[in-house]
Amino acid sequence: MRKSIVNMLRAGTILAAALAGAAGLAHAEDTTLTVWDFKSGDPALADYFNAVKSDFESAHPGVTIQYVMQPHDQYYTLLGTALAAKQGPDVVMVHGGSQAKERTDALVKLDEAVAPIKNDVAGWAEFTGKDGGLYAVPLSIQGFVVYYNKDLYTKAGLDPENPPKSWAELSAAADALKKAGVTPFALGNKEGFGADFFLSSVAANGLTADQAAAWEKGELKWSSPEIKAIVQAWVDTAKNGWYPEGANSTAMFMDEYETFERGENANVVGLISDVAHWKEFGGFLGDDKVGAFIMPPLGTASGALKMPFAGGIGYGVTKFSPHQDLAIEFVTSVASAPHMQTFFETAGAIPSNTKVDTSKVASPSAKLVLGWLGDGPAIVAHNSLPSAVEEEWHRQSQLLLTGETTVDEAVAKLDAAQAQANKK
Amino acid sequence: MTASTTSPATRRSRLGNRPERLALLFVLPALALVVVFRVVPLVWGLGYSFTNYDGINPPSFIGIDNYLRLTQDPTFIDSLVNMLILIATLPIWIALPLVLAILIHQGVPGGKLFRAVYFFPAVLSSVIIGAIFNMILRYDGSLNAMLKAFGFSAIDWLGNSNTALFSLIAVQLWSTFGMGVLIFLAGLSTVPSDMLEAAKLDGAKLLQTWWYVVIPSLRPIIEFAAVVTTIGMLTSMFGLIYVLTAGGPGTATTLPEYLIWLEQGKLNSPGYASAISMVLFLLMGGLAAIQIRIMSRNANL
Amino acid sequence: MSAVETREKRILWIIAVPMALLALSAVYPVFFAINAALKTRKDYVLNRFGVTLDPTFANFPQAWIQSHLSEYFLNSVAVTAGAVLLLLVVSSLSGFALAVLRFRGSKLVFTIILISLMIPVQVVLVPFYRTMIALDLVNTRIGLILAYTAFFLPFSVYLMTAFYARLPRELYEAAQIDGASLLQIWWSIMLPLGKPALITLGILNTLYCWNDVLISLLVLQDKRTLMVGIAALRGQYTTNVPLLAAGIVLAAAPIVLIYVVFQRQIVSGIAVGAVKG
Repeated sequence: MRKSIVNMLRAGTILAAALAGAAGLAHAEDTTLTVWDFKSGDPALADYFNAVKSDFESAHPGVTIQYVMQPHDQYYTLLGTALAAKQGPDVVMVHGGSQAKERTDALVKLDEAVAPIKNDVAGWAEFTGKDGGLYAVPLSIQGFVVYYNKDLYTKAGLDPENPPKSWAELSAAADALKKAGVTPFALGNKEGFGADFFLSSVAANGLTADQAAAWEKGELKWSSPEIKAIVQAWVDTAKNGWYPEGANSTAMFMDEYETFERGENANVVGLISDVAHWKEFGGFLGDDKVGAFIMPPLGTASGALKMPFAGGIGYGVTKFSPHQDLAIEFVTSVASAPHMQTFFETAGAIPSNTKVDTSKVASPSAKLVLGWLGDGPAIVAHNSLPSAVEEEWHRQSQLLLTGETTVDEAVAKLDAAQAQANKK
Repeated sequence: MTASTTSPATRRSRLGNRPERLALLFVLPALALVVVFRVVPLVWGLGYSFTNYDGINPPSFIGIDNYLRLTQDPTFIDSLVNMLILIATLPIWIALPLVLAILIHQGVPGGKLFRAVYFFPAVLSSVIIGAIFNMILRYDGSLNAMLKAFGFSAIDWLGNSNTALFSLIAVQLWSTFGMGVLIFLAGLSTVPSDMLEAAKLDGAKLLQTWWYVVIPSLRPIIEFAAVVTTIGMLTSMFGLIYVLTAGGPGTATTLPEYLIWLEQGKLNSPGYASAISMVLFLLMGGLAAIQIRIMSRNANL
Repeated sequence: MSAVETREKRILWIIAVPMALLALSAVYPVFFAINAALKTRKDYVLNRFGVTLDPTFANFPQAWIQSHLSEYFLNSVAVTAGAVLLLLVVSSLSGFALAVLRFRGSKLVFTIILISLMIPVQVVLVPFYRTMIALDLVNTRIGLILAYTAFFLPFSVYLMTAFYARLPRELYEAAQIDGASLLQIWWSIMLPLGKPALITLGILNTLYCWNDVLISLLVLQDKRTLMVGIAALRGQYTTNVPLLAAGIVLAAAPIVLIYVVFQRQIVSGIAVGAVKG
């Protein structure tokens, strides 16, 4: 039965969903599937969530999908209590990377169920447990690129169609911008996210394949020359006036991005999904005034730069769900191509499903992003950090900005946090 | 003054045993609710604190490892230091509303209006207050805009380790001082006015009147306010911390209650979080021991 | 009028200036919220603090609909009313027993209740949630009513006990001699006499229950209360401030109204617990 369901899903049509529903009828009797997330209330995503819900419900008479949008700031506290008590949602949204990986023991292994869609959907690595099993279906792809304001580049005498390709060019551009009275980069580091994005975008093309693999396993130390150089660059760029004052008290979402949208800063490390992306910036500055480039690594780059990207958010099924089969069907349906098409078109979010037709996009920066997507990913360095280490990096990055700690002290603390996390 | 004319001994004999049992029945609902929803979870949490509970897999007993880890955890130690700094500001929390209340009581022009308006922030939830002060205190916020307009240089109120905790404390103080004003005003209404008049006619200076007449007569109410304020400070700053500073920069505004929340949710280690909880509870217990004595006395028990 | 007094008057006038500024600061958030609610998102990003010249009212219906505020509003009203009523009954009963009747162990009971005043919600989150599950109270309004009652009870019991302790015992003893039962005495003497304290507690507890987010999130996971609905307007990334502000204005309006209406009672009764007769 499951095989036929899954085959139809591959076709990715509404018809398939209906048939799959017929197969699922046997165990559907006025069931409510409770889905926890921190997204479904977003008006930009309303069309997507409604389509997923109504398709699944009409395919499974008697089944109701109930989205419960939790406030994002309390999400993991609530999820923690529900998982601990083994009661609550059937389906849960999780961030890819450590937030998903640290909770795989509470989620159902999905390998068998997702096998047919596995090739169409990207971003699985972020939802893969220590045992190699898949624990959530990726919804979005999250990546990090530098968006820039072409008008401000022109103002500083820079070629707006020829953004920096190396660290030296980037530094030169920053100097030119400063001379023109423009702060080169927007930065919000109140929660430490600014430091996360800096780390990931600079490390993406600066680590060798071996180093990247070691980093993901927690074996590459912060005090290693490669990583320490990035931490040093975090301090140096700040000292060189790349960022506006008050980064430590500026929230990344949305305050940092709003300064970019107001045209106060020339560059910003933005996302490719959700928000802070081409669609949003284009809305403020005009699509043709927003450019994008991949952050170059420190030193000299070798070869073409790759964009750091990975699975963004995904849906998993809780082990304690009384309707596990139904819930598994649901999570495999969320990433189907037609649904993901809606996801992409209404929200501007880069979907996980590679079958989505993106040819109609007009924004030049979106075209660049989609092109880089095809080149394959570079490592997203902060994704693989255990949450305790990431938290320490947030703290140290702020103290580095205020000058209360040195790079040596900071990397020593981070090594200690990493050692503590590896013990677990 | 409502001193009872009957002594405790005669009281008891007159009531006999039946009312005593009935009296127990009267407190039963309160006792049951408090025990089931607060005391039992507390004891349960104590149990977790001796385990490596991760919120998902069954906990296993690890003795006092969590507590040993606490002694080595710089973030935890910083949070305790921050808590001490917070407690050290208690006199301001008492003095500000006290002075305002006395002034209103003395007939400052517009006093009645002030009294009503000062309480206003307490009506709003910390979600709202946090969101608004975020926009006032951030580096490009309205406070710095004002400072710059007057020729001062801007300060990163929430992003600088030297000012962040104090900014946070100021906001919390701002949002609660109205309650203190009301408490002290109510207390002042019980001070016999002839006492104040007499002091005035003596030609005593204003400040001296306050110091030697008004404040001593308010002693029980000051103690009461101190108790309520301390509890509030240590248990309800979370909302503001979250919105205003997220515990940073570094650990500058990480208080134990915020750390508990962080370890429990984002860092997914309720076992360790429980150990922090127990330490916080014990520290508060120390304060509580003093305060309960004061409160019992005020309640005339 | 003596010279001392006129001098004092003059000083008071001077002091009134900073006090008035403080009062202004206390109402500024309301101005801010209303002003922000009248802007579009774009208008807000481009001009955060200024007064909007082109007000829009679209945020109010959008906030109302998008976060299902009408449904949440009912939940909030039901839960707040239920919890406050229960709090008043339970705390006046125990205040009566602890302060007037007294019994062996009343000190112990009082101490337990006061100790529980010192337990922050964060400290007991997971075990508290498990208790709620064990009692099958998750996702029920009655569960949230009981939770609120338990969390706000210690202070209420303390205040009622302190209040009753300063009433003249003769009132109670006279009724006792008349042969009234304890329940009758509580109903016909203690409740009416406790009115100032009960009104104060009623209002304070209404504030706490109405504004709570954390307990409500935990207990009512599918149905929602108003403040949780508002908190959920802050998405992961997108905080649409004007929309949030509109929600805030709508959610705070009832409580502000209650405060304005009962302001006099709050002021007169708020500290009864601390006032020794």
